[in-house]
Amino acid sequence: MTTLERNPSSVWPWIVMAVAGLVTFVAAMSVSPDAVQGQLSRIMYVHVPSAWLAYLSFGVTMFASAMYLWKRDLAWDRRAHSSAEIGVFFTGLAISLGMIWGKSTWGVWWTWDARLTLTAIMFFVYLGYLALRRTTDDLDARAKRAAVMGVLAVIQVPLVHFSVIWWQTLHQPPSIIKPEGPDMDPSMVVTLLISVLSFTVMYAAMMYKRIDLARIEDAVLIAEQTNTGPAAGEAVVAPDLSGGS
Amino acid sequence: MVENGTIVSLQDISVRAGATHILRNVILNVQPGEAVGVFGANGAGKTTLLRLLATLLKPASGSGVVLGADLNNDERYEVRHRIGYIGHVPGLYPEMTLDENLSFIATAMGIDGAAVASSLAAVGLAGAADRRAEVCSHGMQRRAEFARILMAQPEFLLLDEPHSALDGSAVDLVDDLVRQTIEAGGAAVLVSHDRSRVDDLATFSVEIAGGTLS
Amino acid sequence: MRTTFRTQAMAITKRDLMRERRSGEVLWVTLPFGAIALLLIPIAIGTDRPTLRAIGIGLFWVIVMLFGVLIAVRQAHTETQAQRDVVALAGIDPAAGYVGRALASFFLLIGFEAVLAVVTVALYDVPLDGWIWMPLVMVLVGAGLSLLGTLAASIVSTGRSASALVPLLVAPLSVPLLIGATQTFEALRLGRSSLTWTLMMTIVVLLLAIAGVLSARTLQESG
Repeated sequence: MTTLERNPSSVWPWIVMAVAGLVTFVAAMSVSPDAVQGQLSRIMYVHVPSAWLAYLSFGVTMFASAMYLWKRDLAWDRRAHSSAEIGVFFTGLAISLGMIWGKSTWGVWWTWDARLTLTAIMFFVYLGYLALRRTTDDLDARAKRAAVMGVLAVIQVPLVHFSVIWWQTLHQPPSIIKPEGPDMDPSMVVTLLISVLSFTVMYAAMMYKRIDLARIEDAVLIAEQTNTGPAAGEAVVAPDLSGGS
Repeated sequence: MVENGTIVSLQDISVRAGATHILRNVILNVQPGEAVGVFGANGAGKTTLLRLLATLLKPASGSGVVLGADLNNDERYEVRHRIGYIGHVPGLYPEMTLDENLSFIATAMGIDGAAVASSLAAVGLAGAADRRAEVCSHGMQRRAEFARILMAQPEFLLLDEPHSALDGSAVDLVDDLVRQTIEAGGAAVLVSHDRSRVDDLATFSVEIAGGTLS
Repeated sequence: MRTTFRTQAMAITKRDLMRERRSGEVLWVTLPFGAIALLLIPIAIGTDRPTLRAIGIGLFWVIVMLFGVLIAVRQAHTETQAQRDVVALAGIDPAAGYVGRALASFFLLIGFEAVLAVVTVALYDVPLDGWIWMPLVMVLVGAGLSLLGTLAASIVSTGRSASALVPLLVAPLSVPLLIGATQTFEALRLGRSSLTWTLMMTIVVLLLAIAGVLSARTLQESG
C-alpha cells in the first residue's frame, strides 16, 4: 500500500497559485504599454511565461521518465504524468494567446511560422502521451510505455526551439537572450522576468497538487489490486442447469 | 543442467492484469522428472500460470525461479529457448505455410533446417508442409505446434489443454513427448479442465481456483 | 545453439516480408490508397499546372508520411499475442525483433516511396532539379519512419484502442523527417546547401534506432 505522507487537502498550494497569479496580474497591469502594440503587449506577460512553462514541463516529464526507467519507482511516473498534463495546458494557453495577439497584430489567427506550428505539434505529441496513458490500468505497464514515450517526445523540444533560428519567418525571434543584451524597455524586461518567475512558482504549486492527486489515483488502483479483492476466477461459477424456472 | 536440480520454484507469487488479480500467493515447486497436472474451471488462472512459468509474464509480487533464472529480472531471457510452450490459441502465421512457420523458428533458434521436415513428418504432417496455416484445421495447427516443440527439444514443457483438438494418434504422440521429456530429466506442466485425460501422465496434480493453488 | 543478434533480426525481417508478399496489404491496399490521395488533391484544389508543379514535391512527402505510417504500424494489428509468445520463447532478443521488424518496414517503405514518386512526377509535372538527392532522402525518411512506427507499435503494444493510437503517436513525431525531406529540396531550389537537413534526418534516424533498441526489453515485458 502507498502511504500518503503528505496531507493531500493542504491549502498552501492553492494560496501559492493565487498569489503567483495576482503578482503576474499586478505586474502586467502596472507597466506602461508598448509604444507600438499598445495594451495588447500585456498579453506577452502571460504568453511568454506559458510558453516557458510548456518547455519546463516537458523537460521535467523527460527527466522524470528517464528516472522511472532507471529506478522503476512509480513516484517518478506520477511526476512525469503530472508535468505532462500541466505542460499540455500551458502549451494550449500559449497557443491561444499567441493566436489572439496574432489576429490583432498580423490580422490572421494563424500564421505558418515555424515556432507556432511546432508548438502546436508539441501539443499533439503530449496529447498522444496522455492518450497512451489511458490504454491500460496496469500501473507498471502504463509507467513503462509512458516513460519510453516521455523520453522520445522530448526530441521535439530542441527542434521547436532551434527552428526559429533555422527558419527566417514572421515570428518574433527570441529578443531577450542575445549576446548584445536585450533591446526591450528595462521596465518591460523586469515585468517579464517577474511574470516568468511567478509562473514558475505556480507550476511548482500545481505539480504539488497534481502529484498528490496522482498518488490518490494510484492508491485507488492499488487498493483494487490487493489480495482482499476477488480474483478473476471467482467471478466464474458453475452454469445454472435448472432451466431458470 | 539446472542449478539445484529444481525446474520451478515459485514463492508467494501474485500476477495481476490491470486492476484484477489473476493469481495470488502461488507456491509451486517442480523437480526434474515431474509432470504436474493443473486443473481448474474456466477463468481460474490456468493459462496465466503457464505464461508466468514460460517467463512471458512478470510477477506483480513474490519471487520465482524457472530453470535457474529469476522471473523478476533479465535472466529469464536466457532460458526461454529451453522452454516449450503451447498455448490454447495456435501461434502460427496464417499466411505462411507450416514449413515456413517452422523454418522461421528454426532459423531464429539456430536449429538445422532438416529438423523442420523430420518434425513435421513425426507429427504426421509431411504431406501438408506446403499448406498455409490459414487453410489447416485447428487440429492440424495444434500438431504443427507440437512439431515445433519436437524440433526445439525443450527441457521444460508447458502445455495448455495438450489434448484438445487432437485425434487418438496425435494424443499418443503428445503423451510420448511428455514422457520422453521427463525421463530425460526435464519437467512438464499440463493444464486442463478435464482431469481424466491428464491424470495418467501427471506425477502430481494441483487444483487452481480463484487464483490460488491447492 | 543460441543464434546471433543478426540472424534473429534477419529471420524476423524475412518473416515480415514473406507475410506481406502473401497478404499484399501494402501493395494492394496502402499503395493504391496513397496514389489515389495524390489524384484527389488536384480535383479538390484545382488543376492549375504551375500551382501543382509548385506543391507537388511537398504533397508527395505529406502523403508518404501519412500513408507510410500505415505501413510502419501494420504490425500493431497483425500480430497476435500467441504469435508474440512463440517469437519470445524462440529466445529472440526483443531488440533483434525491433531491428528486424523495422528493417522489413524500411524495405516496404522504400518501394512505397519509389512508386509514389513516379506517380507524383506524372500527375504534378514536378521539376526534377536535385533528383540526385532523392534516393538519399528517401532512404532517410524510410529509415526514420519505419523505426518510429515500429517503436510506436511496441509502445502501444496490446493496450486498448492500440491500432487507432499508433498513428496519433507517429504523425507528430515524424515532423522532423517531413521538415528535413521538404527543406532539402527547398534548399536545393534556392541554391543553398542541404547538408544541415540531411544531417538532421540522420540524427533523428540514429536517435530512433538507439531508443528502439534500448527500450525493446522494457516494452516487451509490459505487453
